[in-house]
Amino acid sequence: MSNRMKINATGWFFIAIATVVITLFYFYPMAQALILSFQSGLGANLSFVGFDNYIRLFHDPTFITAITNTFIYLLVQVPVMIVLGLFLSVLLNDKKLKFKGLFRTAIFLPVITSLVAYSVIFKYLFATDGVLNQFLVKFSIIPEAIEWLTDPFWAKVTIIIAITWRWTGYNMIFYLSALQNVDQSIYEAARIDGASAFKVFTRITIPMLKPIILFTSITSTIGTLQIFDEIMNITGGGPGNATTSISQYIYNLSFKYTPDFGYATAVSFVIVILIILFTALQFRVAGDKND
Amino acid sequence: MKKIIILLLAGIVLLSACSSGSDETSESGDNDEITAWAWDPKFNIAALELGEETYAAEDKEFNLKIIENAQDDIVQKLNTGLSSGTMKGMPNIVLIEDYRAQSFLQAYPDAFYDLSDHFNIDDFSDYKIEPTSFEGKHYGIPFDTGVVGLYLRTDYIEEAGYTMDDFNNITWDQFIEIGKDVKKKIGKPMMTLDPNDLGTIRMMIQTAGSWYLEDDGVTPNLAENEALKEAFRVYKEILDEDLAIITSDWSQMLAGFNDGKVVSVAQGNWITPSIKAEASQSGDWAVAPIPKLDVPKAVNASNLGGSSLYVLDVPGKEKAAEFLESTFGSDEDFYQDLVTDVGAIGTYTPATDGEAYKKEDEYFNDQAIVSDFSTWVDDIIGVNYGMHTYAIEDILIAEMQQYLDGQDIDDVMNDAQQQADAQLK
Repeated sequence: MSNRMKINATGWFFIAIATVVITLFYFYPMAQALILSFQSGLGANLSFVGFDNYIRLFHDPTFITAITNTFIYLLVQVPVMIVLGLFLSVLLNDKKLKFKGLFRTAIFLPVITSLVAYSVIFKYLFATDGVLNQFLVKFSIIPEAIEWLTDPFWAKVTIIIAITWRWTGYNMIFYLSALQNVDQSIYEAARIDGASAFKVFTRITIPMLKPIILFTSITSTIGTLQIFDEIMNITGGGPGNATTSISQYIYNLSFKYTPDFGYATAVSFVIVILIILFTALQFRVAGDKND
Repeated sequence: MKKIIILLLAGIVLLSACSSGSDETSESGDNDEITAWAWDPKFNIAALELGEETYAAEDKEFNLKIIENAQDDIVQKLNTGLSSGTMKGMPNIVLIEDYRAQSFLQAYPDAFYDLSDHFNIDDFSDYKIEPTSFEGKHYGIPFDTGVVGLYLRTDYIEEAGYTMDDFNNITWDQFIEIGKDVKKKIGKPMMTLDPNDLGTIRMMIQTAGSWYLEDDGVTPNLAENEALKEAFRVYKEILDEDLAIITSDWSQMLAGFNDGKVVSVAQGNWITPSIKAEASQSGDWAVAPIPKLDVPKAVNASNLGGSSLYVLDVPGKEKAAEFLESTFGSDEDFYQDLVTDVGAIGTYTPATDGEAYKKEDEYFNDQAIVSDFSTWVDDIIGVNYGMHTYAIEDILIAEMQQYLDGQDIDDVMNDAQQQADAQLK
C-alpha cells in the first residue's frame, strides 16, 4: 500500500511541475486576457466597459473586412492546398518513381524557410516590375503587367499563392507518411477487381487517409485564421484593407494606433471562438465515423 | 524518499537555470549610463552621437548608450513596456515621431518627464510645439524638421522646355498641367505614389493648415474637410493622368528616383541623403517649394514626419534632461555641425543664421538648400496632429480605394467620418 502511495506521489510530482508551469504561463494569461477584453481605453487609461468591446466588433467595418479577408483565404486556400498536397503525395508515393527523395525534398523545402524571409522574396518577385511580371510579359502570357501587390483582387491572389507555396509541402508529408501505413494488399485487390486509378484514389486512398485529412484541415484552418507574417510583409494589409487579416488588425490596434489593448484582446478572442467552432464543425463532418 | 529529494533538487536546478538568464536583460538606469532609443543610424543616431561628443566637453563622465531599433519596434516596446506599468528596462531618452507623440503623452501621462524648464519654446519653430506638449507642459525637445520640398530633375524639365521658375510657388493643379506636358514630351511620369502610405495627402492638407482631426486633437474632421477632399481629388487626378508610378514600399520609391524613372520627388527634406546617394545625378537636381492646394489660406510650405526627443520618468532623468538642454536645447554651434556632418535640419531658430545653413550644395547645382528649407519652415502652418494619425490613415487608405474606383467624394468622406467616429471614442 505504502509502495503504491509512493508511486502515486512520484507521479503527481511529475505532473505538478508541468501543471504549475502551464497554469502560470498559459491559463493565467488567458484569464487575464479575458478580463482585459472587458476593458477599454487608450494606453494605460483602462476602465471596465462590460460587453462594449464585443458589441463594437459588429459595427467595426475594418474588423468585418479583416474577417471577410481571412475567410476568403480560408475557403480558397485550405481546400486548394489539401487537394494539392494529396495529389503530390500520391504521385510521390509511386513505387516506380525515380529521384523520389529529390522531389520530396524540393516540395518540402519551403516549409523550413523562415516566414519573413520568404515573404520578402515573394514581395520582390511579385512587384509590378518584378521578375514574375517581366517573365509573363516577355513570353506574352499576359498583355501587360499585373499589379500583384497594389490591386485589391490580385493582392489576395498573391497572398494565397504565397501561403500555398509555403504550406503544401508541410501537409504533403503527413499524407506521405500515412500512405506508408496503408496495406498494399488493398491496392492489389482493387487492381485485381479492375478498378481504375481514379477509383482507387477516391475509394481507397482518400477513405484511408480520412483521419489525416481531418487533422491537416484542422491545423491548416487554425493556421490560416491566425495568418499574420505573410500579410504584414508582402502587402502590409493593403491596398486599402484588401488583404488585412484578423491578426494583423490586432497588431494594428495594439501597436500601430494609439493602443487599445482591451479591444485588441476582444478581437483575439474572436479568433479563439472561430477556431473552436471550425474544429467542432470539421469533427462533425468528417470525424465521427473513425472513432 | 531519497528519490523524491533527488527529484526536488533536480527541479530546483532546472527552475533556477530558467531564471538565471533574466539578470542580464534587466537594464539598470540608476548608474552613470544614460540610455537612448532611436532609429536610423545615418540620421537620428548620428545626431545623438554628435550630441554626446559635444557634451563630453562639458561633462567628461557622461556616458550615453544609444540603442538602435526600428521605429516600429520602439513604438511596440514603449507600448508594451509603459502599459505593463513597470518602467524597468525603459531608456532615459527616446525619440518619437511627432505624428505619434500625443498618443504616448496622453495614453501614459505619468511616464514622461516634464522638460518645460529645460528649453525655451520660443527658440523653436511654432509648429513643433503643439505635438510635443500636453496640458501646458512641454515634454519633448523638438528635433528635426520634416519640412517638405519639391525635388526636381532639372535636366528632365529643361528637356521638356521648363525652368525652375515654372515650379516656384505653384498649386497642385498647375503641377498636374505641367506634368501632363512633360509626360507628353519626354515620356516620364512626375512622381511615385504608394497607395498604402498617404504621406502625400498629409503633406497636401497641411499646406492648407488642415489635419485629419479638429484642433482638439481628438474629433475626426473628415466629412466637412474641404482641404482633405481637395487633396483626394488631386491624388486621383495624378493617377488618372498617369503621372505617377505606383509603388508598394519604400525601396521601390527610392528606386523610382535613383533610377531616373521620375521627374520629381515631393518629400520631406530627410530624403536629401537618399537622393544624393546616386552620385551620377549630381548637378541634375534642384528643390522648389512644395505645391499648395487650391484652397483659401494655403501656403507653399508643409511638413512630413519629423520627430522630437523625450525623457522618460526613470532614474537618471535629470542628467538626461541636462544633456538635451545643453545640446539640442540651446547650442547654436551644435546645430551647425548637425547640418554639416549629419545633414539634419533642426527646428532651433537661432541656429538658422549660422554659416552651415547658408552653404551651397554642389549636388543641387549650388543651391543653398538648407537655407531654403529653413525659410519654408517658418511658413509651415502648425496643426494639432492629435493621437490618431495612423488609425485614421488606415480608414482613409481603404476609402481612397473606393474613391479611385469612382465613388463620390462626399459619400467616401461621410463613410470615413462614420468609421472614425465609431472607432475613436
